[in-house]
Amino acid sequence: MIFLEPLMLWGLLAVAIPLLIHLIHKRRHKTLPWAAMQFLLKASRESQGKKKLRYLLILGCRCLAIAALVFAAARPVVSSLFGWGGGSIDTVVLLLDRSASMESKVGDGLYSRRQFLIEKVRDAMAHLGAARLVLIDSASEKPQEVPTPDILTELSATAPTDSAADFPSMLTRAAEFLADSRGRSEVWLASDLQASNWHPDDQRWTAARASLAALPQKPTIRMLSLGGPGIPNTAIHLLGSRRNGNELWVDLEILHASGARGTTTIPLTTHLNGGRSTENLAIPNGSLRFQKRVTLLSNNESGYGGFSIPADGNPRDNVAFFAYGPARPVKSIIVAPAGEATDFLALAAAPAGFANQSTRRVDPADLTSIRIEEASAILWAAPLPSGPSNEMISRYLTSGGQVIFFPPGTTSNTSFADQRWADITEAPSGKFFILKDWNHRDGPLRDGTDGVPIPAEGLKAIRRQIPLGDAAALAHWEDGAPFITRRIIDNGTAWFVGSLPDYSWSNLGDADVLLPAVQRIVTAGVDRIEASYLTSVGSDSAQLFPGETCTRIDDYGSSDPANAAYEAGIFHLGERQIAINRPIQEDDPEILTRDSLDTILPGTHYTLLDQADQTRASSHSHDTWRAFLIAMLFFFIAEAILCIPRKNAKC
Amino acid sequence: MTHSFIDHALLSRLASLPIESRVPMSGNVAGKHRSTHRGSSVEFAEYRKYVAGDDTRRLDWKAFARSDRYYIKEFEADSNLRAYLVVDASGSMNFAAAGEAKIQYARRIAASLAYLLVHQGDATGLLVSSEKQHLEVPPSRRAADLERLFAALETIDATGETSLPTSLHALAEKIGRRALVIILSDLFTDPAALGDALQHLRYRKHDIAVFHLMDPQEISFEFDRPHRFVDMEDGSSLIAEPSLIANEYKDALQDFLRTIRAKCHDAAADYQLVTTDTPLEPLLREFLTARLPKSKH
Repeated sequence: MIFLEPLMLWGLLAVAIPLLIHLIHKRRHKTLPWAAMQFLLKASRESQGKKKLRYLLILGCRCLAIAALVFAAARPVVSSLFGWGGGSIDTVVLLLDRSASMESKVGDGLYSRRQFLIEKVRDAMAHLGAARLVLIDSASEKPQEVPTPDILTELSATAPTDSAADFPSMLTRAAEFLADSRGRSEVWLASDLQASNWHPDDQRWTAARASLAALPQKPTIRMLSLGGPGIPNTAIHLLGSRRNGNELWVDLEILHASGARGTTTIPLTTHLNGGRSTENLAIPNGSLRFQKRVTLLSNNESGYGGFSIPADGNPRDNVAFFAYGPARPVKSIIVAPAGEATDFLALAAAPAGFANQSTRRVDPADLTSIRIEEASAILWAAPLPSGPSNEMISRYLTSGGQVIFFPPGTTSNTSFADQRWADITEAPSGKFFILKDWNHRDGPLRDGTDGVPIPAEGLKAIRRQIPLGDAAALAHWEDGAPFITRRIIDNGTAWFVGSLPDYSWSNLGDADVLLPAVQRIVTAGVDRIEASYLTSVGSDSAQLFPGETCTRIDDYGSSDPANAAYEAGIFHLGERQIAINRPIQEDDPEILTRDSLDTILPGTHYTLLDQADQTRASSHSHDTWRAFLIAMLFFFIAEAILCIPRKNAKC
Repeated sequence: MTHSFIDHALLSRLASLPIESRVPMSGNVAGKHRSTHRGSSVEFAEYRKYVAGDDTRRLDWKAFARSDRYYIKEFEADSNLRAYLVVDASGSMNFAAAGEAKIQYARRIAASLAYLLVHQGDATGLLVSSEKQHLEVPPSRRAADLERLFAALETIDATGETSLPTSLHALAEKIGRRALVIILSDLFTDPAALGDALQHLRYRKHDIAVFHLMDPQEISFEFDRPHRFVDMEDGSSLIAEPSLIANEYKDALQDFLRTIRAKCHDAAADYQLVTTDTPLEPLLREFLTARLPKSKH
């Protein structure tokens, strides 16, 4: 609740008038010698309880009646945004979530969550009089003064985007802005509370909270969210793409937001260089990951396209764009001495039938004589790199390369990226080290896109070397020792596999484990190269270099030139042709819980207003002076009733 | 000597009304009241059988002639009346909201009754009772002694707590013969103790009359602002908003009056609740008239 005439609240001092009159009246008593004292004492004792209560009620009614009159005169406005803790506000900083997920429609399907929340803010601001409104939108994160709340819906800074939001950063921006601001301020956060936009585990929250706490006048934080289910929605996003000769292999995922059970069918339209074709897709149990192979014309060096599904609850997640360039050979480097293991590794990295894949073996000592930057992956089955080799591999990893380390077969204390090999251990005679469990959702042994697991349970070893160091274990031997570990190094990944595809070590070469694992890692390496054609809104590679211009070349949907930097599509960025999609985390259904909010905003005394059950865009602010006048009348009537003498008065 | 509490015009108007006792009196001089002794009065009382030792002069020979049996003829003997006026002189009797104080009203009643009693030949005494003052004027039939009684009334200083029950007990023990005891008090004392004292008087076969004196404001309890009430007997005080406690006060007072009335009724006392704004003449006229024997009325 806020007051349009807050100065009138000084009138609340008048509440003291009945109390003062009571006290004065009580003090101006007359002294009287009295004979019938025994009855007086008895009457006083008997009347102390209910009479005193009655008198206090009368006094309370008088005070409340005056208070109600003052409140009515102060023109109170109750808004679901302000609650009952409002007052005069000088500055409102609105942090508006413009992420793609905010475009999901709610209620009757006419308004998106973003539109609805903007309407709420506009309505609330209309009652704040001269309060200054400053907008920090999630796309630009730049403070922008809004002359009047009425134009909020018309600003390009409140228009929909395909970007993600970064609330720790936005709140820091708000604190920076308020550092130079005077008077009472409030920070309003309008969001759907999608967890991926809030980064609840991000260390930057500490800095954001500190910035707010350091402000001379701590702002009130109000969170205006719109949770709850929206209109049924299906999202499509692109997981990756790579060119394989005259085909483009595109990994796609289609997700029903409602997590529908059973199989549903939706039409999938493929757009390719201006042409389009449509096919029906059966989606089992609400989601489907699959690889779409798009046949390209043989003379087609480069091009672009996309996949779209019909319009539904969120118009921003119905398309996934791709672009491609000339086919490139996939080269892997095997750093190992010649031998059986090396042969198996070469087969796994470039199996027969994959004409564009090839390998090259080099001895560790000769590594410095070759170029490794163009390699899709490096398979290392030798003592861990040191000296110049160490530097080369480190650079390769930093730039996004993939390196698989296999046991060197010797004992060494050499470490790489804080990882080293343990001593060789051998299984007892007649027994094996057996692979017990592995990560089915992540890593090189993950299940296929069709859900079929890799038959890794048949993997046995008689010798092994366990990778040691701080890394994520993705597969374990029966005794719990790690078999595959992963260490992320900048943009690249170092993999450590605990046995060799050699008959004196394990059946890794025979089983159906080595081939898919190596191919997946090689593919990830290829994606690094192909990534120059694919990026997401807001990423570094989607930014313009100095002197470059940006031109959108696809014809999907309508484009807003003012928001081109925050929209998905196919763009010419200078000389580059690139497909920019919305960030994949925008399809993440996880919503921030109240507990999570308490964790990231402790001590801020924020108020959360979830409008999940109020999806009409109508006004929710009301003048309430009439209610206060009615309350005043009520208190006066109650006071009059209480003042009526009792009927059973005697004598 | 004139006293402010004596209204001679009133007394002359009331002089025609005798003060009667409701119980037989046993005086040693002839008077106008019935005596406990059967004697030589002209008023026939009863016949009784002759027993040995009876005075043969009192045999009714005419009855003997008619019935051939000896009967003794008895007559009622009239005697004089001994009256005690007991005036409560506790501090509470000094209360006067607007008009006359209760003690002054008591003086007027006591003086009027004393005058009427003495002038019809009855001995009248005075007992002034309070914690701080004990004054007693012995009963006397002599008009000359009436002045002593009036002087004693004049000197009453109503102060301190009441000692009425104690004084009544002492009086009951002290008076050897039957008497008329007229109590003038606001009776602000323990009703049970008062009841015991009245029962004691009744046990001694005294005729009791109670004038329960109250100020009109003590009954109406009407005030327009908070007051600090100071107890007139012990000096304690209480600040109260009368409008808030009026009902409870009146309830408590009515309970008290009912109890006092019941105690007086139990002791066969002649009880009269009197407010100090009541004119004295009708009050006394009603009192005297009510005490007249039915046959004489």
